Amino acid sequence: MALHFSGEAVEDQFYTDFGNLNKLQDEKFQTLMVLVFEFLASPQTSSQFISNLEKFASDNGLGSGALKNLIKTVLVFFKAALKRNLPPTQLKEDLLQLGLSEEKGSWVAAQWKTNLGTFSKIAVGQSLTVNQLVDMEWRFGVTAADSEMKKVGNTYLQLKLVLDKGIKTEEVFMELTLPQFYSFLHEMEKAKAGIEYLT
Amino acid sequence: MALSSEELSGLEFLLKAQSKSVVVGILKEGFVYRNDKVPDQVLASVAQSLNIQPSEVITLFQSVTLLVKKALYECVQDQSDASKIFPDDFHNDLRKLLSDIIVKNMSEWRTEASKSQVSLPRLVDFDWRVNIKSASDSVSRMAAPTCLLQMKVQPSPVNSSELPNLESINVEFNKEKLDTMLDGLGKIRDQLSSVAKATT
Repeated sequence: MALHFSGEAVEDQFYTDFGNLNKLQDEKFQTLMVLVFEFLASPQTSSQFISNLEKFASDNGLGSGALKNLIKTVLVFFKAALKRNLPPTQLKEDLLQLGLSEEKGSWVAAQWKTNLGTFSKIAVGQSLTVNQLVDMEWRFGVTAADSEMKKVGNTYLQLKLVLDKGIKTEEVFMELTLPQFYSFLHEMEKAKAGIEYLT
Repeated sequence: MALSSEELSGLEFLLKAQSKSVVVGILKEGFVYRNDKVPDQVLASVAQSLNIQPSEVITLFQSVTLLVKKALYECVQDQSDASKIFPDDFHNDLRKLLSDIIVKNMSEWRTEASKSQVSLPRLVDFDWRVNIKSASDSVSRMAAPTCLLQMKVQPSPVNSSELPNLESINVEFNKEKLDTMLDGLGKIRDQLSSVAKATT
C-alpha cells in the first residue's frame, strides 16, 4: 500500500523498524523521539545527537548498532515527510500504517505539528547556497599624501569579505571610493527591498 | 622648492614652438609618460614640430616630466604657487605660459594620479539579482528569496605593460545575511556623515 511520505509502497525494513519502535515503552519512545526532533531542528549538532543515542542505548540495555539503524530509518522517514511538507494527519496515518500504536502516532503527530515551522525553516536554510558571506570587516580613512602628491585628501573605504567557498573560507579585499560606496549601499538597499517584497 | 636652471634647461626648446597649443600638447605628453619612457613616435613628432635634434627632444622631455612631477607633488593651485617652481632667472614669458598650463590642468592631473595610487584591489563594478528558490533537494516546494551579488575587482597589476584581468567575486545572501550586511554598511555611512559634519 502506498504511503504519504514516499508516495509509494516501502520496503519491509520500514515495517520491521517501526514495529520495533512500537515495542518501546511510551516514556522511552518519547525520550527517543525528542532526541530525533532536536537533531532535526539543529542539524549541526550531529555528534551530540550520536552521543545522546549511545547514552540512550546503554541506559535502556539496547545495542547501539541496532538503535542507530533504527534511527536511520526514522530519519529517512522524517526527512521525506519534511520534503513533502506532510500535514500531521497524513503523518499519523503513515505512522499507524507502519505499525505504531494509536497513542504513539498521535503523540508524534502533535509534536510534528508544533515543530513543523522550525523544521521547514531549517530545511529551506540548508538548501544549496553558493559562496556565502561569513564575515565583513571595514575601515575607512583619508589618504593624506602619496608618492606623487604631497597633499591628497581622498576618502577611501576598504572592505574585507570572508566567503565560505565550501571547502575553505576565502578572504577578499577591495577598496572603494566614496561615490562607489554610496552607490553600492544604494544598490544593496534596492536588493533588500526586492527581497522584502517577495517575503 | 624651486627646480634648478640645469634641471629645466630642456624647456628652452619650447620657445621654438609655433603656438601655445603645441606647448600644451607637450606638457600633456609629459604628464602621461611621467613614470615611463616616452615612446619614440612621440619624440619624433615633437622633434619635427619644434624642428630640433633627437637628442634635444630627450633633454626637453626630461625637463618637462620633472616639471610636471614637481608641480603635481607640490599641489600647485594658482599662478604664484606655480611660478615658485621655476628658478628666479627663468625666462619670464615662458614661466607665465607654463604656470598657466599647469594650473589649468592640475585638477585633471590630480584625479588621474590618484587613480594610479597604490591601493588594495579596486572595486570596478558590481551587479546583483534576486532569486527565489522554489525547490531543493531537501524541500520540494518553497519560496525563499536570495540575493546574488557579483563584484568585479581589479587586482594590482603583475605585469606593468598590461592591465590585470578583472576578478569576479560571487556572493549569495539570504535575507538575514543581507540585513546584517546592510546594517554594517549603514554604520559606515553614519560614521562618514558624522566625519563630514565634524569637518564642515
